[in-house]
Amino acid sequence: MSIIKKLALVVVSLSLVAVSSVSSAKPFSPKKPVELIIPAGQGGGADEIARLVQGVIEKNDYASKPVIPINKSGGSGGEAMTYVKKKAGDEHTLIITLNNVLTTPVNQPELGIDFFNDFTPLARLITDTFLVWIATEGKNTAGVETFDDFIDLAKGNGLVMGGTGSMSEDELLLGMMRGQFGFDAKYVPYSGGGAVAKGLVGGESDFTLNNPSEQMGFYQSGDSKALVMMTPERNPAFPEVPSSYELGYPDLEYYMMRAFMAPAGIDAEVEKYYTGLLHTVYHDDEFQTFNIDDGKLMSWLEGFGLKDFLAIEYEKHGEIIKNFN
Amino acid sequence: METVGFLLDGIFTSLQWFNLALLIFGCLIGLFVGAMPGLGSVNGVAILIPITFIIPPTAAIIFLAAVYYGAMYGGAISSVMLGIPGASTAVATVFDGRPLAVKGEAMTALTAAAVGSFVGGTVSVILFTLFAPPLAEVALRFNAPETFALMVMAFATFVGLGGDDVPKTIFSILIGLALSTIGLDLITGKPRLIFFNIPGFLHGINFLVLAIGIYGIGEMLWTLEETKGKVQMSKLSVNMKEVGRAFGALKKTIMAMNIGSFLGFFVGILPAAGATPASLMSYGITKQLSKNSKEFGEGVPAGVVAPECANNSASTGSMLPMLTLGIPGSPTTAILLGGMILWGLTPGPLLFTQEPEFVWGLIGSLYIANFFTLVLNIALIPAFLMVLRIPFAILAPVIFVLCVTGGYAPTQSLHDVWLMLLFGFAGYILRKLDYPVAPAVLSIVLGPLAEKALRQSLILSDGSMGIFFDVSEKPIAAVIMYIAIVLLIMPAFGPLYRRLFKKKQTA
Repeated sequence: MSIIKKLALVVVSLSLVAVSSVSSAKPFSPKKPVELIIPAGQGGGADEIARLVQGVIEKNDYASKPVIPINKSGGSGGEAMTYVKKKAGDEHTLIITLNNVLTTPVNQPELGIDFFNDFTPLARLITDTFLVWIATEGKNTAGVETFDDFIDLAKGNGLVMGGTGSMSEDELLLGMMRGQFGFDAKYVPYSGGGAVAKGLVGGESDFTLNNPSEQMGFYQSGDSKALVMMTPERNPAFPEVPSSYELGYPDLEYYMMRAFMAPAGIDAEVEKYYTGLLHTVYHDDEFQTFNIDDGKLMSWLEGFGLKDFLAIEYEKHGEIIKNFN
Repeated sequence: METVGFLLDGIFTSLQWFNLALLIFGCLIGLFVGAMPGLGSVNGVAILIPITFIIPPTAAIIFLAAVYYGAMYGGAISSVMLGIPGASTAVATVFDGRPLAVKGEAMTALTAAAVGSFVGGTVSVILFTLFAPPLAEVALRFNAPETFALMVMAFATFVGLGGDDVPKTIFSILIGLALSTIGLDLITGKPRLIFFNIPGFLHGINFLVLAIGIYGIGEMLWTLEETKGKVQMSKLSVNMKEVGRAFGALKKTIMAMNIGSFLGFFVGILPAAGATPASLMSYGITKQLSKNSKEFGEGVPAGVVAPECANNSASTGSMLPMLTLGIPGSPTTAILLGGMILWGLTPGPLLFTQEPEFVWGLIGSLYIANFFTLVLNIALIPAFLMVLRIPFAILAPVIFVLCVTGGYAPTQSLHDVWLMLLFGFAGYILRKLDYPVAPAVLSIVLGPLAEKALRQSLILSDGSMGIFFDVSEKPIAAVIMYIAIVLLIMPAFGPLYRRLFKKKQTA
């Protein structure tokens, strides 16, 4: 997104916040702690952002009541989504998204989750990127220096991939790569990106498709290295890692959206309050610096733009799932 | 030598008046949240995280670690005095702590808990100081097959828990395992065993619901029937003779201290296990290896020392993967980890070299926190004992209210309160029929961990159980597995041998 567009968005959203606070006689504010549901395990990418948002809100007193992150990692987000669906009309519950909010309702129809009617989308703050990671001293990936080396190796051998759960983003991504490059891998699910990273460095798996933050500690210590980032351009946080575009694989592009939603059936006032709160967090210096250093893309989106985006992504993921099966 | 210097720096850091005040304050808060059923170290630390943004990171971690620590001690208080586990980490403390209190030896039980906690905490922090980097390597190599083998070992020790009645014990374990499979499938995310399509079953059965039901409600029903409501607590006097007797009883618990400290620490450093499984396993193994294992469950100090030692040891241990690998070893450290990220630290292999003041300040503070919690606990014992002077007619409703809040708090759903009452009645009936209930509690804690590890292992091995027994490929897993099998066979065949032996004698 260009800087002008970004600025325009800022102005629009700031004015929205301003209007909302003027127009209502009695603006909403939380009356008790706000539960922030994380549909993933502790130590993963969503968990980290949720806790960062909590911290930024607390530190600067952006809200009158604290935000309490709660992990409900069961069933690729199914547990968390069922919980939020049941909370319809509740003004003190939020959920941070992984892309699993787009896939789990399709994969698990028995949960009876209707993505478009059971939630109130508030805003997208961040777009997270994906990389192909191997352990620096991986016994099955010894000698792999480039992504092409990796593809050659993976085609011949059944490598083991550590991932964050059945039909989660990284397994779908594996499915996409299978179609594009003609290799397959044995997929072992763990509880969260932190455990996935540990499994890789501990030698249980051969590669992972983790987000940057999930592998950051081991990347900085030199225990694991990235072969490709699935974006059009290189990222300043990983200057030596080539982008998929420059390697000649423009089809290998995939992102994780970090958005926030509330349960269905909340008042417009409440929706405006939380969107405004998230907007304040988004523009907090600490929040910006932290995420940019972590290799994430700052990408605020709200209102109709967000709804359109979600509709397109929902359809796209439906397609990916169809191809996967 | 470098380590000693760092450690001394760390200890001095935590002795600065500001840090020391926070440390003592943290211990007191921890004692309180630990003792309140339904509130545990997880809630305590989560609620207090925001406060820590206004103080330096080192002070913040010292404060929160003290809360974590204090909660490990505090959990024992309500386990002993009320028979309700104050926190999930103190469930095993009920097994023997409660009978001791009923026998009029609450003083001994509380002393055993405090001293056990101190020993476990101190041993583990020494291990931490000396061996943190190599132990991080061990934690890293401890993957799915190893975890499953460890779980099998835990179950094996519990077969011996119910005394000689092995079939009844296995029945109890299986009940717990069946209950632990309710909810969403761990690997595929599909719902399973959702009875009558009640949505409350989707989040599974929280193990505190079972533990509080069985021990809180079940125990209360049992007491009511036994005494027809006329409970006479033995008169308790706190004098030096009593104190001396309480400390004297600890002489017999050296083995429990060793097992609790080392096993607790080891289980603690494994990511995803934490203090609850550690305390249960330590209890099981101590009982198994004890000469008077039959007395366990009827009130022996070793039965209090083992789990209390282990839960403190494990809570220190679980900070190791948090600091060195950036992976939480327990739910509470997961929250601490979130805090560290927000304080601007990157947990991971480089933390020790990049932020020595923070890491060693934390380690140093654990030594000091241990000492202060011990002193606080021993000093407060007379106050805790006052609970026993309350007439049962007043105490019973209080226990009931605490049980209901404790069952409601973790998931905030009334569904769980009804379940808890149901388990209370079921526990009471099982007890009348002489079924052991502790193994069911253990399996509902370890069941999900074991299931996940088993299924991950079987995916890796393409469905072959050989992955657990291959000494050359997975030596750690195989060795643990073989030990588990021996442990399993011992109690199962023990009675058989004894019977055969007796027959020979009579013949």
